[in-house]
Amino acid sequence: MTRKYWKGLDELKETPEFLKSRDQEFLSEMSVEEFLGDENLKETSTARRDFLKFLGFSVAAATVAACEAPVTKAIPYVNKPEDVLPGMPTWYASTFYDGVSYASILVKTREGRPIYIKGNKDYGFTSGGVNPQIIASVLGLYDSARLTGPMAKGDESSWSKVDDAIKGAMKSANKVTLVSNTVISPSMQMAIAELAASVGAAEGNDKFEHIQYDAVSYAGIRQANEASFGAAVIPDYHFENAKTIVSVGADFLSSWLLSTEYATAYGTRRNPDGEWMSKHFQFESMMSVSGSNADYRGMVKPSEEANVLSYILKGLGVSTNVPNALSKEVAAIADEAIKALKAHKGESIVISGSNNKSVQILVNKINSVLGNYGKTMDLKNSVNMFKSEDDKMNKFVDAVIGGKASDVVIFMGTNPVYTHPKGKALGEAITKIKTSVAISTHADETASRCSFICPDNHALESWTDHNPKMNHYAVGQPTIRPLFNTSSSLESMLVWANKADRSGKDSKVAYDYIKKTWETYGFPSQTKYADFHTYWNMAVHNSCVEMDMPVVEDAAPMTFNEAALSGASSGLPKGGALEVIMYQKSAIGTGLYTANPWLQEMPDPLTKVTWDNYITMNPSEMKEMGFATTFDQENGLNMASVKVGSTEVTLPVYPLPGQAPKTVGIALGYGRGANGENIGKAAFQTKEYGGNVQLENGNPAPIGANVYPFVSVENGTFSYSAVGGLTPVDGVYPIAATQIHHTVMGRHSIVRETTLDIYSKGEKEAYNPAHMLLKLDAEGNHVPTPVGEFDLWDAHPVENIGHRWGMTIDLSSCIGCGNCLIACQSENNVPVVGKDEVRRGREMHWLRIDRYFASDDETAVGTRNENFAFDTAEVAAVNPKVVHMPMMCHHCNHAPCETVCPVAATTHSNEGLNQMAYNRCIGTRYCANNCPYKVRRFNWFNYPSYKKFTEINPAQDDLGRMVLNPDVTVRTRGVMEKCSFCVQRIQAGKLTAKKEGRPVVDGDFASACADACPTNAITVGDWNDLTSMIRKSADDSRSYQALEEVGVKPNVWFKVKVRNEHNAELAKIQTVAHHGGHGEEKETESHH
Amino acid sequence: MFRNLSNWCFGALFVMFFAGTFTTNAQGDALFKAKCASCHQPHKNSTGPKLFQVRTKWADGGAAEGSIYQWVNNWQTAAANDPYAQTVSTWSPTAMSAFPELKKEEIDAIFDWVDSQPEPGSEGDTAGAGAATATDAVEEESSMGWIWIILGIIFVTIILAVGGVRRQLHIAASEAAGEEVQEGLTYGEELKQWAWKNRKYVGIGSLVVVICVIVTLFLGLYTIGVVENYQPSQPIAFPHDIHAGVNGIDCKYCHNSVTKSKSAGLPTVNVCMNCHKQINGRTPAQQEQIAKIYDAAGWNPEGAGKYTGKTSPIVWNKVHVLPDHVYFNHSQHVVVGGVDCKQCHGDMTKMKETAKVQPVSELNKIEGNIPLTKPTLTMGWCIECHGEKEISTGSIDTKNDGYYNEIHKRLLNNDKSLYGKYLKDGKVTVSELGGWECAKCHY
Repeated sequence: MTRKYWKGLDELKETPEFLKSRDQEFLSEMSVEEFLGDENLKETSTARRDFLKFLGFSVAAATVAACEAPVTKAIPYVNKPEDVLPGMPTWYASTFYDGVSYASILVKTREGRPIYIKGNKDYGFTSGGVNPQIIASVLGLYDSARLTGPMAKGDESSWSKVDDAIKGAMKSANKVTLVSNTVISPSMQMAIAELAASVGAAEGNDKFEHIQYDAVSYAGIRQANEASFGAAVIPDYHFENAKTIVSVGADFLSSWLLSTEYATAYGTRRNPDGEWMSKHFQFESMMSVSGSNADYRGMVKPSEEANVLSYILKGLGVSTNVPNALSKEVAAIADEAIKALKAHKGESIVISGSNNKSVQILVNKINSVLGNYGKTMDLKNSVNMFKSEDDKMNKFVDAVIGGKASDVVIFMGTNPVYTHPKGKALGEAITKIKTSVAISTHADETASRCSFICPDNHALESWTDHNPKMNHYAVGQPTIRPLFNTSSSLESMLVWANKADRSGKDSKVAYDYIKKTWETYGFPSQTKYADFHTYWNMAVHNSCVEMDMPVVEDAAPMTFNEAALSGASSGLPKGGALEVIMYQKSAIGTGLYTANPWLQEMPDPLTKVTWDNYITMNPSEMKEMGFATTFDQENGLNMASVKVGSTEVTLPVYPLPGQAPKTVGIALGYGRGANGENIGKAAFQTKEYGGNVQLENGNPAPIGANVYPFVSVENGTFSYSAVGGLTPVDGVYPIAATQIHHTVMGRHSIVRETTLDIYSKGEKEAYNPAHMLLKLDAEGNHVPTPVGEFDLWDAHPVENIGHRWGMTIDLSSCIGCGNCLIACQSENNVPVVGKDEVRRGREMHWLRIDRYFASDDETAVGTRNENFAFDTAEVAAVNPKVVHMPMMCHHCNHAPCETVCPVAATTHSNEGLNQMAYNRCIGTRYCANNCPYKVRRFNWFNYPSYKKFTEINPAQDDLGRMVLNPDVTVRTRGVMEKCSFCVQRIQAGKLTAKKEGRPVVDGDFASACADACPTNAITVGDWNDLTSMIRKSADDSRSYQALEEVGVKPNVWFKVKVRNEHNAELAKIQTVAHHGGHGEEKETESHH
Repeated sequence: MFRNLSNWCFGALFVMFFAGTFTTNAQGDALFKAKCASCHQPHKNSTGPKLFQVRTKWADGGAAEGSIYQWVNNWQTAAANDPYAQTVSTWSPTAMSAFPELKKEEIDAIFDWVDSQPEPGSEGDTAGAGAATATDAVEEESSMGWIWIILGIIFVTIILAVGGVRRQLHIAASEAAGEEVQEGLTYGEELKQWAWKNRKYVGIGSLVVVICVIVTLFLGLYTIGVVENYQPSQPIAFPHDIHAGVNGIDCKYCHNSVTKSKSAGLPTVNVCMNCHKQINGRTPAQQEQIAKIYDAAGWNPEGAGKYTGKTSPIVWNKVHVLPDHVYFNHSQHVVVGGVDCKQCHGDMTKMKETAKVQPVSELNKIEGNIPLTKPTLTMGWCIECHGEKEISTGSIDTKNDGYYNEIHKRLLNNDKSLYGKYLKDGKVTVSELGGWECAKCHY
């Protein structure tokens, strides 16, 4: 059989650039003659001899300077706080809420500095679930762009002056309007009531108005529930009880509602070894994190989502007047979904990501027919978050624009100038408000236009309380004294209501008030604790308490109101030739963290693009329209402009398989600081050698474009899809993506997957066959032998003696959220390198998540169908299956990197770790070349000091450096680095065991990635401990090692991804491979 | 330099002073320290009244004979029997503890010792003289340097002058002998000529010199970053010998995170104040130093003493500085390894000054230390010890289910030959279990 292999699409297509570069072994931009002939060079006056003199002098100077060690100071506390032990971390339980995400968290502090955030697995309904934004929020504490004190009319002011002015303005105001994000704090709600009372609000007058407004609204769900059940609530979803999950456009694993809770709950049922495995159907327009994990995924346009729901309703025997026409492919998947839903009545969840009341009513009807309420969905223990009053907000915005706003307007924790569709006009009109006040951490789009800015504390500096669900109350405690002259928003409210005095940095105002609230309301409602002190200590220690739900005697049974359904056909989203979806990225979200360099550099889970906003489009459609569908370091993507209504944005077009035809997606949260607002340097584009790209007016150029103006108001709620037009624009835009190939090309030694049916038959050979090579036996016959028996090296003495640290990653559970990546960055001081460096393939992440799309030639990722051909296998299918595969140093026992290091800077430990001694490394990069997993990272620059990274590397300012983990060395230029398996944590875990005089057990050590994983896909531990979880997991029948045939004997195992789907073709292959003896793959290997 | 020297003199005198009294009143001294010192001082009222010549005071006050001994044994009995004792019992803030185990002779020994203590600032005190001596010594030493320089200059001048004279004489001699005189020759040309004449020897000599210079240079380079004897000046002349030696305070009392954390921890000022609230120094020099603690703690010792709330931390100069890329954990060594502080820090009970990096030669003199050869605080020193230190079963954690027992068990059960190799020298060392691996200390 003759085969031809291509190194890339370029080679296959023989593009002119490729042909040119192929003939030159060494790419050189400029010849030596050209370089020396450069006129500018002659002008430089350093002669060779001078150069040698300088060289000699600098060597001598460096030598002399090195002789004298600088005097280091040691400053002990005067009075040591009881819970601070220098050199040891102190952990605090707290609660995270920023108006979008909620989670019970643990904050690690070192010598009083919070440096790391992880989910609290012991307390709170989020069960340890967090998202990248929450983990990275610790960096926001040390953001030098934060406001450092109150501002009046753009100038620095003092609290007393600002407070007096605001109080005076409120006294004489006709009306005070407070615009905030959803307030879930009971104490804050009471403080707002106090403020209302102080301005004279009472029944019958409208002296005070509070508008809750969220950047991304879920008002449609509340309205639909009011119509369907008479209660404007958001139900509590229990994904852990759902055997069938049907999501129509809801990215519930990454951004939709309480995704931190849902991802964790979902993860518990994605393990094929569990009691049962959920079956997940996703109908959506653009490939979302949830869609990439679905067992079945159908592509629909936003306007067709109602059709899907109507089709399902019809399948369940309910006819509606909502159209239910679907394409053949989608209908087939919907039929499967109906079958699964019928089989699991009361054990399923149907959700929709739409903010359209009518669509949500259809969802309610389906769940009601299935009897899911009270089982997987709870209307009583409803969610208190996301109470956006879209209608009220729109009226308010119109009033401000029309110059008819109240005398005093307070914006608290919200940024409508950026997030509201009419934000631009609102921004221009804010100055018309008599007194506008912003409570904000930054002088952002809204705050910078207000007459007064009252800087809020960072969340890690404030006492807060929360009531995210009816029965759940939580406390957020500060972990550091306020760094600047800021004040908690609760204190500001109380001061303006004349209930407290400003008390500076050591203020106890918020603390006392919250404690009082809990003493008055929380403590009497329980019986477990006899005295308040114990109760309060417990609440702060656990960060939350569960309350018994109040039993309402004659509560109306929540039955579906059929009248709601009959009206559902009106007010459905309208379709068009091109529909635009505004979605939230898992890293950037609604735009709160645009200036967070960790999050900007986090590759998007699906596109793997960093530092950019783009238009996603299906590559098959892009080809038709003439857009480039491949890109790399040199070749960028084509541009296009998308127009919705009167707003137009121009962005690069990214080929995203799985995007529904005739739709494009653009992420929210970009284009911040468009008028030069100081929201942080990392929110802006950077030049090649440092500095922000300047716009014509001198302001820095924001990254991406703001698409909130695309959001329209439909029936009183915001709609996050719109009908628009797309026109190609000339120009090529460089894109920085960490992965530019799409498929795994059928290489089953990297990714293995199967279906639940095949897996449950229990024949390991079918879904996880051993890798065999042919060996000559004594008689000269070729005998198939497992690859593990072939060895070039002497075995490292790590098996069964001492420790052998290992890791397993369950590809079934991994949802690709990116928590591990950000947690690793936070724990290991991984530098931020910026777009230009990422584009050159120089990103520094120790852990990356490879995302593989299946091609048409694969029946599943990493498999090959009968007609497999390499020339087409590189193209992802139109609607592909996806595998997320975390990849980090495999700590090979026969590490190829170790053997090529000329200075033994990377060596093997007797605990199975591949060690990296930075001080020995001379930067030959041989190791990186020799690594089969490509996980080694080279420090091309001194990121914490070189000017190119001033804007984006947080370690470049004194404040940003405070987030560094003192237990991990900050690497310097010219050395190699890579995943260390969090060796600092291994050492700490061992020490704990040693000090307690016992062997190491599970739980003593968890790497940052394992710690952060919401679905517990990553297991780490001591493989040599026969009772450990890692040993059991590694010995499991699903475990395999990536690239096992290379023979490097890694200490990382992956576990075969199991999908709960029917895949007849895959079944045929995997059963044939098993029963037919030798498939194609073995034939290939025999050529070795 | 000045500080260290003055400390040294001051400390030396202090020790001599103590040594003198110890021989005569050893029993009283020991008993006073064991029983009384926590509340009483000889010349100063603290928690209890001062004890200097207390027997005379009681007799003058009209106390009954022997009443004072009864008081020490049990003050309540004495107060009930003797009116004078009754008045003493009103002392505030606290009542005295009972010491029924003390015999009359012992109590007398205590009082004798107390009475023999000179009053601070009295003639018996030599700290002032000590300070003066220290200053003189410093001046003397610094002037020593100048003398050498001046002497050097004089010698060079003499050599040059003699050389000039010799040259003139040589020229004159040549002239006299009628030889051709090369007038125009400079010193350099002359030297060149001479060197060419003797090129064999000059060549060999130059080679030797070059080799010597290179060797010296490399030896010098090897000492870069070696900090043996490093002893920075300190804001407070803290005498370790008095605290850890004379008073026998355990290292862990002040460096109290040594068993818990990677850093041993410097005593926070509140820890100093536990004792120094009472002890404000006998001599002006001591008082001056202790006053610095009061400044830091914001303590006003006037009268009953009170905290003013104005605190300022003490900025010490770090003595044992490891580079940033080295991870060292005190608790690992002290708790798990059972290593004595002396192994690395030397005998602090004899350290008169605050602290210094003890050279390995000094460390080796201490009994019980593992003898090492590489300079202190170098990596060679660390791994040398890791190669020597034994962690065989029972040598560290003796508990049955201990960490190392499990490690030994795994070796024994799964790789006997390797275990045998380790045990060839009769012990399993730290290095054999991975103590020489990079990522144990560098990450």
